[in-house]
Amino acid sequence: MGTVEQVETSEGIVVRSRRELWWERLRHWFRNSEWSQVARHLLRNRGALIGLVIIGTFVLAAVFAPYLATHNPLETSLTTRLMGPGSEHWLGSDELGRDLFSRMLYGGRISLNIGLISVLIGVAIGVPVGAVSGYYGGKLDIITQRFIDIMIAFPGILLAIVVVTVLGVGVQNVMIAVGIASVPIYARLVRGSVLSVKEQSYVKAARAAGISDFAIIFRHVLPNCLAPIIVQSTFQIATAILWAAGLSFLGLGAQAPMPEWGRILSQGRGYMRMAPHLTTFPGLAILLMVLGFNLLGDGLRDALDPKSRGR
Amino acid sequence: MSIGKRFALLVLGVAVAALVLTGAGAPEPEVVERDTLTIAIGAEPESLDPVNMTSAPAATVGEHAVERLIYMEEDGSLTPMLATSWDSNEEGTEWTFQLREGVQFHDGEPFNAEAVKANLDRFLDPDVGAVYAFLLGSVQEVEVTGEYEVRLHLEEPFAPILSHLSHSFIGMISPVQLEEYYLDDAGEPIGTGPYEVVSWDRGDRVQMRVNENYWGNIPEIPNLNFTFISEDSARVVALETGEADAIMAVPPTDAIRLDDDPNIDVTYQTSVRTIYVGFNVNHEPFDNKTVRQALNHAVDKEIIVEAIFEGNAFVADAPIVDAVFGHSSVGPYEYDPDRAREMLAEAGYPDGFDVTLYHPTGRYPQDSTVAEVVQDQLADVGVNLTLETMEWSSYLDFLYLPEDESDYRMYLLGWGTVTLDADYGLFALFHGDQGAPAGNNISYYRNSEVDDLLERARVNTNPDEREALYADAIELIWDDASWLFLYNEGQVNASRTYVEGLIHHPLENLSAWEAYFVD
Repeated sequence: MGTVEQVETSEGIVVRSRRELWWERLRHWFRNSEWSQVARHLLRNRGALIGLVIIGTFVLAAVFAPYLATHNPLETSLTTRLMGPGSEHWLGSDELGRDLFSRMLYGGRISLNIGLISVLIGVAIGVPVGAVSGYYGGKLDIITQRFIDIMIAFPGILLAIVVVTVLGVGVQNVMIAVGIASVPIYARLVRGSVLSVKEQSYVKAARAAGISDFAIIFRHVLPNCLAPIIVQSTFQIATAILWAAGLSFLGLGAQAPMPEWGRILSQGRGYMRMAPHLTTFPGLAILLMVLGFNLLGDGLRDALDPKSRGR
Repeated sequence: MSIGKRFALLVLGVAVAALVLTGAGAPEPEVVERDTLTIAIGAEPESLDPVNMTSAPAATVGEHAVERLIYMEEDGSLTPMLATSWDSNEEGTEWTFQLREGVQFHDGEPFNAEAVKANLDRFLDPDVGAVYAFLLGSVQEVEVTGEYEVRLHLEEPFAPILSHLSHSFIGMISPVQLEEYYLDDAGEPIGTGPYEVVSWDRGDRVQMRVNENYWGNIPEIPNLNFTFISEDSARVVALETGEADAIMAVPPTDAIRLDDDPNIDVTYQTSVRTIYVGFNVNHEPFDNKTVRQALNHAVDKEIIVEAIFEGNAFVADAPIVDAVFGHSSVGPYEYDPDRAREMLAEAGYPDGFDVTLYHPTGRYPQDSTVAEVVQDQLADVGVNLTLETMEWSSYLDFLYLPEDESDYRMYLLGWGTVTLDADYGLFALFHGDQGAPAGNNISYYRNSEVDDLLERARVNTNPDEREALYADAIELIWDDASWLFLYNEGQVNASRTYVEGLIHHPLENLSAWEAYFVD
């Protein structure tokens, strides 16, 4: 038959190309699946849309940084230091004469990487811990949760500082530190969801059918806890970027000559009166990126909540 | 009345009130009775107890309240302070000091030979562990030979003894306080100075008031505050808003801007501090002299001075600054990256190498920026630096380790030769027996010829012969290049124009006892 198929419809049997068929299925899926509803709802939310646009812009800028950059972000030129924004340096030059615009582009890469990877670390540890703790309950739950209590008692950034102090400074360690600092958030969140999901009859049925605990947790329980994890992760990326910038500002994160935003900000504050662009632009970039993820997170929370979706 | 009218009346009322309150556009000059001078400095003293002081900020604050036997003038000459005259025997092993009579400590205790002995003994007591006890290194005994006469017995002649006694840390505090707080942090020191400490609010300020019983000229300004503002730009803003009347360590870029401000005087002064990158000379690749010299050729000191410091620093031409007795110019190493690459290839590193440079941040002006410039320039000859910043106190702990425990290859540091005598700047840093942690030779550099020259120079009492010995030592030290010699700092202080008479001392002190206010 090749690229055409016979399909039976209310109008009788018609012949359609395979491509048409794919489109139809896609349309059908888009109209009716759970995720498509979420996506459509999200796009109707103005805040979320703005968030998406902001994040999209930053992601594109980060991905295409090598093509967009006007200068090598590490190349110094001491004779043209601290120049204001202009045609040679679009956002000005820093205290060593490096081009701020190019540094900001590469800095976006670092910040996005830190945000994503640290959240992945947090999810990878926090979710299983929370799931196991909630699913089995009992002493294991009590011990785990008391440990989580201890971690939550510390403000996240403080916990991250402690971890960095132990591991040593540097971007990789900041990712680990921020990841670890967000573990208790996920563990607590997932435990709560698991507690409510595990009482559902399909879980009881699965257990009665003799399916292993491992399979029940990962195949039946966790997929139903996905919504809060996604929402939390979006917010957590924003938090992670902010914490990482804070750590770099304190000299615990990215090291010279890395163009991390928090570091640029920290270096620039000595020249606040002479070269305000060195603090303004990285400050704005951090603000916008964090805002973007927070707006998206807000939108996702509404979109993923079936109760609020109709409103 | 309609709402519109009421609103109009309200606006009118507010406008009138505003005019009245602001003096209706013809402001009379505010007449302020100034009685307090506030000086903002970058760091808080670690202590004001002479035996625990280690930094220039501590010296600046402390010297207003606590005095030493001898004062070093801005030109380096030594003048009487609490001692009026001094003399030594021919060999230079006994020094006799006549003390100033009729001087009282702030607590009313008399200053006399017993007080001097109590203070110096405390300084020498190994149990007290004074950080700068080495200043009195060869002093064996302090003998009271009269009510106002003391004699120091030295183990061997020690040429720089007088300039060492002028060091701000050899301060005289009340013997009563010594008894009370012996071995304890004395907190507010009770000295004989022109000002006495009223209170020390940790993290904020030291407040002082004039000592009405001062033996010398009683200062004109009754109250003196030292506030601590570590952030450079915040310190500058404090001066611009008038929150501080004078500040120390103005960042170079701000200095240019403040120069244009008609209400602010900017003072440029030399300093005695040399900034350098030290090598750990017992480890690869820095155990090779050619490598160390190559790196000296690879860094453009001139552009650091011109661009980063806006010209207010000086390319180092010796391991000590030229104001120091015993200085002789041997440098600088010419900036020549091609030659550096050749030398590296010759030493067996044609492709360069990777190494970590440790550096402080905020301790010295522009320190982390300088580290980045060095990183950038060394990358040009194939030497790739990883920069690692450390907090100041943990940084010193990290550097001052016994040789077999040391873990660093390159470090950025500075040294101020505050006695203006080469012994202080060379013996402590380049004598083979002065290795950390007991000494300050953190590069673990050892050259027996240099050791011999430095030892001979410190016991020789003939200035000309000493100078010749130091010249030879400096030549060897420079050639061995255990440091990457960078630059000598300059100081930039600034004050409001209504303050006059401040002493901007090359020893990084800002002294206020001769200051006064003008309209």
